[in-house]
Amino acid sequence: MALVHIKDLRKSYGTNEVLKGVSLEVQQGSVVAVIGRSGSGKSTMLRTINGLEVFQAGSIEVDGTHIAGFSKAALRELRLKVGMVFQQFNLFPHLSAGENVMLAPVVAKKMPREEAREIAKAMLAKVGLAEKFDALPENLSGGQQQRVAIARALAMSPKVLLCDEITSALDPELVNEVLAVVRNLATEGMTLLMVTHEMRFAREVGDHLVFMHQGRIHEEGVPAQVFDNPKTPELAQFVGAVNA
Amino acid sequence: MGYHFDFSDLWGYREVFFKGIWLTLFLTAVGCSLGIAVGIGGAASRQYGPKWLRVIVGAYVEAIRNTPFLVQLFFIFFGLPAMGVKLGELQAAILTMVVNLGAYSTEIIRAGLASTHKGQVEAAESLAMSGPQIFRHVILVPALRRIWPALSSQCVIVMLGSAVCSQISAEELTFAANFVASRNFRNFEVYLVSTVIYLALAIGLRYLFRVIGRYVLKMSWE
Amino acid sequence: MSDISTWDIFRNLLLAARWTIVLTLTAFIGGGIVGLIVLFARTSGNKALVLLTKGFIELFQGTPLLMQMFLMFFGVALFGLDVPAWLAAGLALTLWSAAFLAEIWRGCVESIPKGQWEASASLALNYMEQMRHVVLPQAVRIAIPPTVGFSVQIVKGTAVASIIGFVELTKVGTMLTNATFKPFLVYSGVALMFFLLCWPLSLWARYLEGKIHGSRSH
Repeated sequence: MALVHIKDLRKSYGTNEVLKGVSLEVQQGSVVAVIGRSGSGKSTMLRTINGLEVFQAGSIEVDGTHIAGFSKAALRELRLKVGMVFQQFNLFPHLSAGENVMLAPVVAKKMPREEAREIAKAMLAKVGLAEKFDALPENLSGGQQQRVAIARALAMSPKVLLCDEITSALDPELVNEVLAVVRNLATEGMTLLMVTHEMRFAREVGDHLVFMHQGRIHEEGVPAQVFDNPKTPELAQFVGAVNA
Repeated sequence: MGYHFDFSDLWGYREVFFKGIWLTLFLTAVGCSLGIAVGIGGAASRQYGPKWLRVIVGAYVEAIRNTPFLVQLFFIFFGLPAMGVKLGELQAAILTMVVNLGAYSTEIIRAGLASTHKGQVEAAESLAMSGPQIFRHVILVPALRRIWPALSSQCVIVMLGSAVCSQISAEELTFAANFVASRNFRNFEVYLVSTVIYLALAIGLRYLFRVIGRYVLKMSWE
Repeated sequence: MSDISTWDIFRNLLLAARWTIVLTLTAFIGGGIVGLIVLFARTSGNKALVLLTKGFIELFQGTPLLMQMFLMFFGVALFGLDVPAWLAAGLALTLWSAAFLAEIWRGCVESIPKGQWEASASLALNYMEQMRHVVLPQAVRIAIPPTVGFSVQIVKGTAVASIIGFVELTKVGTMLTNATFKPFLVYSGVALMFFLLCWPLSLWARYLEGKIHGSRSH
């Protein structure tokens, strides 16, 4: 069963249509990598899945529930199932790493603090930062901050994790530590939907590759095939430009 | 008087109000123009001047910004004559406004100067322009553009502050209001109307600044 | 008449400064409370409330404080009540402060990066939870310097209360001038008193501002 089912999604900013009828299925346990130029709509599509962007037509179904209406209660329900990691990390600067991870379980899930603390410790250990529980974000490197952000999203036990270019804002030497964490999550069976520029990672870890162009899914398939045998000139150009 | 409002009388006093409005506008126009001029000089002194000048201007700015306008007014109008400097009400009012706005605008404009992109100055120097030329042609207008909204707000504050000049018998709008109120005893109505007039003047002044920003400083009309 | 010594002048001004401080504190605390209410109304999204508070702020920021005091003085009297100067001045200064503080604080809340709202929303927090746990803790920190800075404006604003008869520094200064015929000395003293009250606050606000901008590392 598809965990995320997007059908004919359309979205416009005013008169500018950025998603022109996107349909996509994300199977449980799979890793879907989304690539494309800036402006192709890939981040926008990702952000509609957890309700940060509204859409005008089409449907999105997550774990059997349609996203219908954008009432605050409905969005909250959705976000308990869908986690997101951002390009700019967006850690809460006034809270330590551990407190960042604990906050949502305590506040949104009404978990007792001690239980949340244990989960936070476990999640930080999972991303390799067990000893940084009390560290403030400003004292962590970019790669460490992003790993805390991943732990924070994982602490909510999401069914699917959305990753919006999570390594794009990192210095090159810090990218690998984050990708290593994501690779582990994939191996453990987490459903991942990642907008990324890391082609090699998409090829090695991805189960399904989606190439977006001008608001539509232009090509999709098994990563190795899509990269080696692009069917359309736009993808060939994109892959060529990236590899150059 | 009770709850029975009566505004009908006020129209009969419109000459008095007009004179008051005119004088408020006059005080504001002169006070703000000279005040901004002082501000540009003060800002340039603090940003580029020798240490002794920076200290003096700094002391002036701190003294003015940490004392009330009313006290400055009384000092200039009542205090200076004791030192031999006798001023008429209008002169004292304008002088106080200039001195007051001069201090605030020195700081506001200085922030604009300080945020000048170093590359701009380097380009101008490479073109063999002198310091004062660079200031006048390359630095000043962009700096003013950056701080124009803040400067505009400060001028509105000064215009509203001119209301207390009525205390030294400068015949601006508040003085006119006091005069009318003392004649018809409709205090609340008189001051309500005056307040609305001030509000209109404040809105008008802000708009005027936007116009100047657009046509003189070539700012975009947001 | 002129057997009032410089020391007497100084002593009287010092005593008068008490009332300046009392009025300032009243306006600051009262204005802070009203300002918070105005802030929540202004950012609530409810069209009527937003319009009302925008009007309130425009009114108190766009008219002279003196006019506001006159209106309180004569307006409240319309209800048949006897309005002492301290009440009119206190009310006007409180509402005036509230308008400015609400705008200062709104600016601080709006300066919190959108990413903080998005990250906390993605973690299934609702508006109140976002404000309480993520946005306000950060906003309060950056609101402290401009709030301290504004307290200086309140101290200076109390001088206007002298015009409606409230006995504070400026009023006592006028009374002393009439008694001693030494306006230069007296008003210098008044200015000095205000300076001593305001300058430390100004310096403190600047120090706090420096700390905030120094520690921002992202």
